[in-house]
Amino acid sequence: MRKGIVVLFILCLLVPSAIFAAGAQESDQVTIAFCFQDLETEFWVAGHKAITETLRENGIKVIEKNANEDANRQLEQVKDVITQGVDGVIIIPQDGESAVTIAKTCNEAGVPIGVFNRPPSDKSAKNLVVVANNEVIAEAAVEHMAQEAMKLGRKVHPAIMVGDLGDPNAVGRRQGFMNVIEKYPDLWAYEPVEIPTKWDANVALANLQSAMQANPDIDFLFTSSDFLFPVIKSVLAPLGKWTTIDDPNHVILAGLDGDVTAAQLLEEGYIDATGVQNLFYEADLMIDAMLEAINAGNGTPDKWMDDPGFALTQANLDTRAEEMWGWVLYKERQ
Amino acid sequence: MKQQTLVKIKSRINNWGKGKADVQDAQVEISRGRSLAKKILMSEYFVLYLTILYLLVLTPIIPRLWHPMNIQNVLSNMWPLLVVAIGQTFVLILAGIDLSQTSVMAMSSVVGAVVMTSSVDPVLFTKSPLWGIFLTDQGGLMGSSPLALPAGILAMLLVGLIIGFLNGFSVAIFRMPPFIVTLVSMMLFSAMAIFLTKSENIRHLPEAYLQISKTQFSVVSMSMVIAIVLAIVAHITLNRTLFGKRLYAVGINTTASEISGVPARRTIITAYMVSGLCASIAAILYSSRLEMGRPTLGSTLFIDIVGANIIGGVSLSGGKGKVTWTIFGVFFFIILANSLNMLNLSFYVIDMVKGSVILVAALLDVARSRIQKAQN
Repeated sequence: MRKGIVVLFILCLLVPSAIFAAGAQESDQVTIAFCFQDLETEFWVAGHKAITETLRENGIKVIEKNANEDANRQLEQVKDVITQGVDGVIIIPQDGESAVTIAKTCNEAGVPIGVFNRPPSDKSAKNLVVVANNEVIAEAAVEHMAQEAMKLGRKVHPAIMVGDLGDPNAVGRRQGFMNVIEKYPDLWAYEPVEIPTKWDANVALANLQSAMQANPDIDFLFTSSDFLFPVIKSVLAPLGKWTTIDDPNHVILAGLDGDVTAAQLLEEGYIDATGVQNLFYEADLMIDAMLEAINAGNGTPDKWMDDPGFALTQANLDTRAEEMWGWVLYKERQ
Repeated sequence: MKQQTLVKIKSRINNWGKGKADVQDAQVEISRGRSLAKKILMSEYFVLYLTILYLLVLTPIIPRLWHPMNIQNVLSNMWPLLVVAIGQTFVLILAGIDLSQTSVMAMSSVVGAVVMTSSVDPVLFTKSPLWGIFLTDQGGLMGSSPLALPAGILAMLLVGLIIGFLNGFSVAIFRMPPFIVTLVSMMLFSAMAIFLTKSENIRHLPEAYLQISKTQFSVVSMSMVIAIVLAIVAHITLNRTLFGKRLYAVGINTTASEISGVPARRTIITAYMVSGLCASIAAILYSSRLEMGRPTLGSTLFIDIVGANIIGGVSLSGGKGKVTWTIFGVFFFIILANSLNMLNLSFYVIDMVKGSVILVAALLDVARSRIQKAQN
């Protein structure tokens, strides 16, 4: 019996090696792995669709990996796809810190890596990074809110729903909000209330409820992501504050992303503005840069690409709505 | 005519005899087959045979399974899981369970990083309760000291031992169910890790610490050395020491072992401390690999830890389990995950397959126990 096991074990080691040697011929088709942390918001779903469809339209084989919000699992998945011999890796990382670790792994393997819309927390690794200028976009949206607040002829009580500050996007958005707060010191009745969300709807709901109970006069609310508008609605509606912009009880509202929900709420007049990340433009930037690196045989391309974005407001809705990805999808669905 | 009839009858009798012999032969064959199947099923190496078979079947489908880089990936994924699974084995032998291992990993990685980090971003950490005391602009508690590494590792191990002691104490002294004790401790310490860091990751750990997961001499890595040494120590502890014998005795029947003079309480507390210690060693391997202290480290790992033990044959009913079984279980589990990844299946399918395999392993455990009882 034991001899049999030994023979089986040796066979197990030898046969695969022979097969591997025989099957080592690689296909000429370019293969790119797209490793994302999860698809929990409309923005990421649309981003996923934009990237995978564009890649496939270009005749590129796409390997998709979902890490289910686990940074360690994402690292293992990236190592696995490198072993599979992919030509490039595009990731949506769990956070800025894990993006650095994963990018370094790709650098060591000489496989170009692109980090989509959630930038690494530092520049110690070489990667292609496409990122929206969150601070500028948030500032533009909050500026419109401030202009609307000034029309009221009184001071307002500001609040911001802050994202996970481990994500540089959340840091940039908060900073854009604070820039406007500093710009108009006489407009605010109180210091701004910061409501943590951790990019999680349940956390956001609990903290917004608490904030509204503690500060019932909040009438100027910026959310760091549009995906939280349904949460805001569920908290404000029972308080009689989920109203259109012409209602005296209206809480001045804006968000950032430019998703389908924001498009609908803008059209219906429930929100004042949203900062727009040009998702399709970002996907194109990333894919062009990745293909350029692959074609040039550059395993460690290093380039940061900015999406300037813009704010879609009730004032420019008629002229710029078609530039927002969420608006396009919203109209398609209609 | 009469003679012809006689010949026919004789021939029938002969054939009938042969038929009977054939049936008997077939019965013997079936019985041999069954006994071989039983032997394989009851064998200590059952999971190893299964793994070899699985590899053989998959090899033509996934030739890259045997690529040196993939072997390296499999091994680097295996060692940290093995370390934490060995700790769980000690508790499972007791007929207990340690749900808090994932929170031990999170707390250990946070505490270690707080001691060792050389710099932190004030924007992220000023709201942390640790700010100004344990974390400052200059980094962690011992960020600039050459003793940062040993102090950090010691702090991590202490966290595991302390949480393990609290679990063991509650189970042994207050006779609380291990499930509820470790569930509460999982919730408590996971939340504490997030509270202390305000959910931020702590980076800038010493280079020597990061080298723990990076140092590699051919196929031998530092993680491998740590895991194998731990496995050998755990194996000897279970098989050659008085503590090991007491552990099995308590796992089979706590009351009987106490009547026989086994210090059951001390044994239970020690087993939970071993579990916590192993979780904190795993935290060292995982966090050095990810290059950061993460308050959510290991949060999705529990099913892998217990799954690997069950697949290996460690019984949930207690009194049965070996380190070698855990090694086989972890190996199979990692190979399974790796191969499913290489097949490019979706995340949901991978988790469904993993879950099904664990369920089948639990069913097999029941079947093996029944066969064993019948044999006895």
